[in-house]
Amino acid sequence: MVVLEAQADDRPKAARGSRPRSDDTVRADREESRSPVRRVLLGVLLVVMVVPIYLLVVNAFKSQQEILDNPFSIPFGGLTFAHMSAAISSPQFNVIGGYGFTLFLVVLVDVFCILLAGPAAYAIARSLQRRTQLVLLYFLAGTFIPGAAVIIPVIYVLREIGLANTVTGLVAHDVASTLPVSIFLFVGFIRTIPVDIDHAATIDGAGRYRTFWTIIFPLMRPAVVTVLILNSIGIWNDFVSPQILLSPSSGHYTVTTAIYAGISQYSTDLTKVFPNLLLAVAPVVIFFIYMQRHIISGLTVGAVKG
Amino acid sequence: MVELAGLSDRLTAEQLRGRRRARLRDAAVSFGMMGPAVLLYTVMTVVPVGVAVYLSLTDWDGFSTASFIGLDNYKHLFDDPSSTDAWYVTALIAGAGTVLMVGLGLVYALALKGRSRSNSFFRAVAYFPHVISALILGYLWAAILGTNGAINNTLAKFGVEPVGFLFDETFALISLIAVIVWAGFGFNVVLFVAALQTVPAELLEAAAIDGASRRQINLRVVVPMIAPVVTVATVLNLVGLIRAYDIVVSLTGGGPAGSTQTFTYLILARSFEGTKVGYATAQAVFLMVVSAALALFVTALRNRQDQAATGS
Repeated sequence: MVVLEAQADDRPKAARGSRPRSDDTVRADREESRSPVRRVLLGVLLVVMVVPIYLLVVNAFKSQQEILDNPFSIPFGGLTFAHMSAAISSPQFNVIGGYGFTLFLVVLVDVFCILLAGPAAYAIARSLQRRTQLVLLYFLAGTFIPGAAVIIPVIYVLREIGLANTVTGLVAHDVASTLPVSIFLFVGFIRTIPVDIDHAATIDGAGRYRTFWTIIFPLMRPAVVTVLILNSIGIWNDFVSPQILLSPSSGHYTVTTAIYAGISQYSTDLTKVFPNLLLAVAPVVIFFIYMQRHIISGLTVGAVKG
Repeated sequence: MVELAGLSDRLTAEQLRGRRRARLRDAAVSFGMMGPAVLLYTVMTVVPVGVAVYLSLTDWDGFSTASFIGLDNYKHLFDDPSSTDAWYVTALIAGAGTVLMVGLGLVYALALKGRSRSNSFFRAVAYFPHVISALILGYLWAAILGTNGAINNTLAKFGVEPVGFLFDETFALISLIAVIVWAGFGFNVVLFVAALQTVPAELLEAAAIDGASRRQINLRVVVPMIAPVVTVATVLNLVGLIRAYDIVVSLTGGGPAGSTQTFTYLILARSFEGTKVGYATAQAVFLMVVSAALALFVTALRNRQDQAATGS
């Protein structure tokens, strides 16, 4: 991760930039898009990527016997909502209930991450002192720490400060885990904003907090959107931290821990597996389709300019 | 923050004191802005690493008081068969996974680099698993590849014996790598497409005019141009795969007979079931060192190639 030169504004420009194209390149592109090799490649891609999702969707509405006999078919007469509604109202491991808690977690972590990472990145980006640059390195070191592997010592620390097995403890851990990459991306972005703007604000009498929140922060929109998308997907999909930092006795289930609790017990009952998995996947896929462009450009930010 | 250049030689002692005070206030504000983030990150991320290092030197079992045993846990790392097996599995997943993901990423990026609606669609198709939890993808594939899964049931209709995709030791590892590659190569596609779109068109035209074939252009001009991004992708894939956990839990559960137990899986399984927390944290510390070393190694290798290429 150290190698990533964060130039958050480079990517969208490069993607959208209208480079003048000669007729030759257009013709070459068209020729290329008709080549048989390419067609085979794309055909394979479509089948391999889409079929598992197709299976997930159709089998969520079939009986166990239908799933076993004809996994790929759509029996128009035999489709049933029974298993889906059973999954929706299941009292044992409620994926729908998991949506609420997971969303709550995502929003809370996002808000605290911006509140902490924003000003910190601003102070780092605008300081000329070497000491402050070391702070950036200190945060970057965090990207080398394999979160799942050191989660046990995290329990130890949470126990010491009295936050073991609490939502507060989980949020604190999650926010801390989002800080390194967020600060890294923010610092890169703030450095592309002219310092003259800050000076003008200072002359007009604004303090540094005010300068940051009212002048600089609104200019950081692309970087903030990127960080929010990265964090939200990361927290929504996280399994290890909620599973280990919030024991089942806490009564709180995220989508992933609810699925884990449910599917690992009933893995042979496919009428429980498919509907629950579909419920878990649906919001993310809808979010992805809706935000596709932002997600794809957001996640590649910084990595391209190596 | 505002520099009043040229005035410093005329400042009185009073003004100097004022400036020093201003600088102090500035430092205090900086500290205030960074403080909360530094504090939380230190307590929740850095301190646990310190605790891990400490615990790794003890025989703590998670309950009783820990006693210091020095480097014994680390010595044990290399003569414990389940630990070396997990390393073998992890290295195979990280190595084969990275090669396949970067390779497929490049092939599909070259096929999808043009700016068209259909290309964006295919890029999104390749990419979408990346936003779904690995745990859930693992369960989905377990339902497809299992003995009663869609593939085996279809094969059965043609009279083919069920294939132990998840129940044969060799097949299970291959299935695990295949699912990981399926879920992750799209990220590389998108990364490489973004890089390919920054390659200047003039360069490709010049090569075409010089009589280079499309294949030659791709191999000799385009791929070298995006080499730095390929390095970044390699590091990200390696460091990511070396920590594979969620997908192992849901796809194979480490089985059959531990044949798909990755290092992270082993660490967490040991911590909970085996109660050997001290030993497990020694493994975690070791994993951390290896993943940092790998990242630095690949980056350094790349830098040296760059320097060789530019002749400096």
